[in-house]
Amino acid sequence: MPLLTALGRRLLVVVPILAVVSMLLFTALRILPVDPAAMSVPPNATKAEIEVARRQMGLDRPLPEQYGIWLGHVLRGDFGRSIHLRRPVTELIGESLPATIELAACAMLVAGVLGLAGGLLLFALRDRAMEAVAETGTTLLMSIPEFLWALLFIFVFGVLLQAMPFTGRIDPALRLPLVTGFLLLDALLVGRPDILVSALQHMVLPATALGIAFAPPIMRVLRASLLDVYHEDYITQARLRGLSPARVLLAHALRNAALPTLTLMGVQFGFLFGGSLLVEVIYSYPGMGNLMVDAVRNADLPVIQAVGLTYCVVVLAINSVVDGLYLVLNPRLRAR
Amino acid sequence: MSRLPRWLRSGRVIAGLLVVGLILACALLAPLLAPHDPDEQNLLSTLLPASWQDGGDPAYWLGTDSLGRDVLSRLLFGARVAMTVALTASFGAMLIGAALAWLAGYLGGWTDWLIGRAVDVWMSFPPVILSLILMTGLGTGEQNVILAIILVDWTRFCRVLRAEVLVVARRDYVAAARLVGFSHWRTITREVVPATIPLLVTLLSLEMGIAVVVEAILSFVGLGVRPDQIAWGQAIADGREAIYQAPYSLLAPVAAIFITVAGFNLLGDGLRRTLDVRMVEGRE
Repeated sequence: MPLLTALGRRLLVVVPILAVVSMLLFTALRILPVDPAAMSVPPNATKAEIEVARRQMGLDRPLPEQYGIWLGHVLRGDFGRSIHLRRPVTELIGESLPATIELAACAMLVAGVLGLAGGLLLFALRDRAMEAVAETGTTLLMSIPEFLWALLFIFVFGVLLQAMPFTGRIDPALRLPLVTGFLLLDALLVGRPDILVSALQHMVLPATALGIAFAPPIMRVLRASLLDVYHEDYITQARLRGLSPARVLLAHALRNAALPTLTLMGVQFGFLFGGSLLVEVIYSYPGMGNLMVDAVRNADLPVIQAVGLTYCVVVLAINSVVDGLYLVLNPRLRAR
Repeated sequence: MSRLPRWLRSGRVIAGLLVVGLILACALLAPLLAPHDPDEQNLLSTLLPASWQDGGDPAYWLGTDSLGRDVLSRLLFGARVAMTVALTASFGAMLIGAALAWLAGYLGGWTDWLIGRAVDVWMSFPPVILSLILMTGLGTGEQNVILAIILVDWTRFCRVLRAEVLVVARRDYVAAARLVGFSHWRTITREVVPATIPLLVTLLSLEMGIAVVVEAILSFVGLGVRPDQIAWGQAIADGREAIYQAPYSLLAPVAAIFITVAGFNLLGDGLRRTLDVRMVEGRE
């Protein structure tokens, strides 16, 4: 079972990384010049009341002990209570994480489709004067980060054309059916096409803004791998056998050129997940990004710690899955 | 026969240098170029559209923002923060990242292992999240933005450069230098470092573009420069509220960021194509 051993080896890497990350997060945020105890009591509390709160929260103990207590709770799924929102942090994350995963997945789909189409187009234009134009074009496209796309889309489709909604996840008049928290899935589960349509409409602009920013590197790598693959003997043979150019490209070249592209998309997915933060803020999309920014603005330490850690867990999980997929898709690696 | 070095003959490099030079000139000459004091508020003419639109005022080319300040003047002064952050933060990130990469790639062993694991830990944070957490700790301000970008982005240099150093350190002339009796320090500074400069210059140019974006993002969410400083990210946050009345207060800083980043990216892309030995050899 080479896949299982690889998975085990991956866990041996991921668990220590998470341990160090959690330690860094905890210490970094404890050095802050804010006092969680003073913030958790009403503004008119006395010094003595603050001290009581401090002892209740365990903030009077040495830092390693505090970390131990915190970690113990975290491992049991308890991230404490939000100082600002006064709700359990685990609940807040449970509500916002599915929203962000849904957005990131839709954006990745957009990035993949645009990247595939663009890569094939760039490849089709090889050896022509168009190539330099296309190459410079991708460089310029890469100069527009996701939050600029988000703003431009709001301006063009939301304000000028008024074609698309650009705040929230769903029409505020509709009620959210909470089953899994994944809205598109939930709408299907409860059989509500009106919610599905509204959710899709609200998803189009943010997912496209996020996805389009990550498409140009995919186009480039796909084009480069296709160019590499076309030097291989089996392509020449396929051509000599009289297969049509389209068949050679799609059935033979694309399959073999896909691996580097998929690897890049895996790496990109991690970045895209982080990039969703700004898009969420701009579209008032109720996900982890907005939770994080609100927490940072209010110095809500328990939320910052938990959201920071959750982002890390998701990124590491994505990377592990990509590594596993790479192993499945590339038989040459499995033999080792 | 032109005696210009190869990299100066690349169209991308020239275009990139022109754009970056133009933005740099705007930043340096902002007090001379700006038609208004960027902080001067004219509360009688807030949210004016651009001068060519209906209701525009010829005194304010790109209109005014929510406090009646001149959009164009604030755009020019915003270039100062953007360029300062781009130049200093990318140099800082390069110094740390490159130094660690040279050490890791050349010395190998536990040094390499330790630095490699540090990079792993850093890379498990999405960059935006890490810089937000750092800004929470550091507080707002231009210097803290620079520090945060350095602390987040040194890994970009370290990861790419380490792989290059691994290749270079195994070359014959490096072994020869050691055999002739060069110390480790002298081998690194005389033989390894020069061989990695082309890659470093390319990465530096691309990082400057990234720094511009990160500064804009942080200032946009209100965690970048201090509120009284003029930055493109803040202009975007302000313009976003007035998107219906004064669209150019949003579109102008968006365009400014795009042009600046495109300049750095064109420069970096051109340098990569002309300085990378492998790419040049592969083509000729």
